[in-house]
Amino acid sequence: MKKEVLYTVPSYFRDDMKILSYRFGKGEKSCIILGALRGDEVQQLYVCARLVSFLRDVEKEGGILPGRTVTVIPTAIGASMNVGTRLWAPENMDINRCFPGDAAGSTTERIADGLFSTLKLYRYGIQLTSFYQPGSFVPHVRVMDTGRQNPELGCEFGLPYVYVRKPRITDKTTLNYAWQLSGTQAYSLYAGKTHEIDETAAEQTLRAIIRFLNTRGIIRSENSPGHTASVITEGDLTQVSAGAAGLLRRVKFAGAHVRRGEQLAFLLNPSDGSVKEVLKTPATGVLFFVQEGPFITQYSPVFQVLTGK
Amino acid sequence: MPVTKEITKIASASLPFEEQWAIRRCRYASGLAGGRLCIAAGTHGDEMMGQLICFQVADRIQREPESLRGTVDIYPMLNPLGLDIMERMVPAGIRLDMNLAFPGNPQGTPLEILCHAVMQDMLGADLVLDVHASTHYKSELYEVRMNEADADRLIPKARTLCPDLIWVYPEYAAYGSSLTSALCAAGTDALILEADERRRKPQEIAAGVVSGIFCKMRELGLWTGETQQAPAPEAIPVVRTKAEVCRVTCCNPGVYVPEDRIGTEVRKGDLLGTVVDACEGVVRERVTAPASGLVFSQRSYSAVYPGTLIARIRKEPV
Ligand SMILES: [Zn+2]
Repeated sequence: MKKEVLYTVPSYFRDDMKILSYRFGKGEKSCIILGALRGDEVQQLYVCARLVSFLRDVEKEGGILPGRTVTVIPTAIGASMNVGTRLWAPENMDINRCFPGDAAGSTTERIADGLFSTLKLYRYGIQLTSFYQPGSFVPHVRVMDTGRQNPELGCEFGLPYVYVRKPRITDKTTLNYAWQLSGTQAYSLYAGKTHEIDETAAEQTLRAIIRFLNTRGIIRSENSPGHTASVITEGDLTQVSAGAAGLLRRVKFAGAHVRRGEQLAFLLNPSDGSVKEVLKTPATGVLFFVQEGPFITQYSPVFQVLTGK
Repeated sequence: MPVTKEITKIASASLPFEEQWAIRRCRYASGLAGGRLCIAAGTHGDEMMGQLICFQVADRIQREPESLRGTVDIYPMLNPLGLDIMERMVPAGIRLDMNLAFPGNPQGTPLEILCHAVMQDMLGADLVLDVHASTHYKSELYEVRMNEADADRLIPKARTLCPDLIWVYPEYAAYGSSLTSALCAAGTDALILEADERRRKPQEIAAGVVSGIFCKMRELGLWTGETQQAPAPEAIPVVRTKAEVCRVTCCNPGVYVPEDRIGTEVRKGDLLGTVVDACEGVVRERVTAPASGLVFSQRSYSAVYPGTLIARIRKEPV
């Protein structure tokens, strides 16, 4: 294992922020895994830390295949993690909205550029990321539909779903998009929660990455078999939104199979506990995403139901 | 015919505790033939200058109602929850930039629903002005901004707003979902106004912008009262390409102490400011102008990182 400082952001008031990378093996830059880009991505950091620890053992046992390099960057935003801010605090900017970055640009663009100059050298790129809304997802792989995507390869993670998504205008500055365009096969992994450690989802994500590294011939390691993945698109998802505002009491959680008309959650008046609305699923399927709440603004999407697969 | 004034909630979403997240519009209608101007502000909750500009426009209309023709719609607080806590983003649990959520979606998230309603309400106006201001640590001249895609059509229209500078943004992904670009794409002319200059009193800055707005209203046939003369086209500098802007950043972290350069012409090599280190008691960096020209953005006294924007200079035409 080679631990390196990939990029340093000098600071005046506090210690410089160092972005660390852990490199295993030698030769072709095969796969790179990036964890937290936001200060609250605890789960993403945790999976990377577990992966570094795992790969260290694999390397000792000679399990990194000759001529293959795999690198892990657990976090690019350690300074924000230390003080509990989600975005890159000095500029209140989201690093994942600044790719491919600019070496002569703002501090955030420089961080993105510092990362991207390494990230783009790899054949496969895996980003552990989170949704803008707090909530839980069924574990899945996301691929941006840039015309260069390869969802079939995404099935090799052995997670239940590969979600191919059409980029919106604002997605064009994300890592996944920039990565795909510069020739790396890029995959984003979503699993479980963000702000806290979800052991089950972490284990599942870790296994998925190991599975991918195995099938791509980068490492050799025992692993459990995965799911047969289905490729899905936005059209397969039905949104259930709140018609009222209040406290959310969920009775169904991500991954649950639900039948049309089944109760998913109750929206309660936060002062007197009366039920303002019962959220029901309009279709039979699997709960793909569940918002955590507990406070819900009217019209907020609370559930995404995967139908038709 | 008297001018009527009507405040309307154009859209709202309930918040968990007995409150509406509402967007309000105040309409001044003359009842006389004429067009419609919309003035919006407060998309970014950390930008306060729009409040005063909207107030001064409303105040003048109410003091000289006989001069109004057509309709003026004022939306001073598009992001009321952000403004209340001086947070740029939309709070309500999601922390998103409202100016990345247009044109919105009537079936989308609460923010997308509100953005869609704002768009629907403004569509068809003769002109929409979206008032922004620089963020906390920056001074900005009175600028009119627009996208490259709309520049040929909008530059002539921007001149009568009498700004210090017209700045055409290069085509850049993020601006595609702003209020003004969504309106332009839907066929309604819209411009961004930007003004905030730390060394001057806010009422002076606002008055300069408001004077330009009334000059524009006169040209649009919405105002028959006295206004300033629009400057000759060549008197307003236009920044059209990236090559015309010199973006000055610092290389060292520390505390930035600015010289007073905003609105002035600097020569190459002139001192813009100093980065100092209080702990070691040393000057870390003297930031000088890499090119001669008009300083139209200037960093205020504040902490900086490598890459922090210190100034923008409109390079002297060669
Ligand atoms: Zn703004």
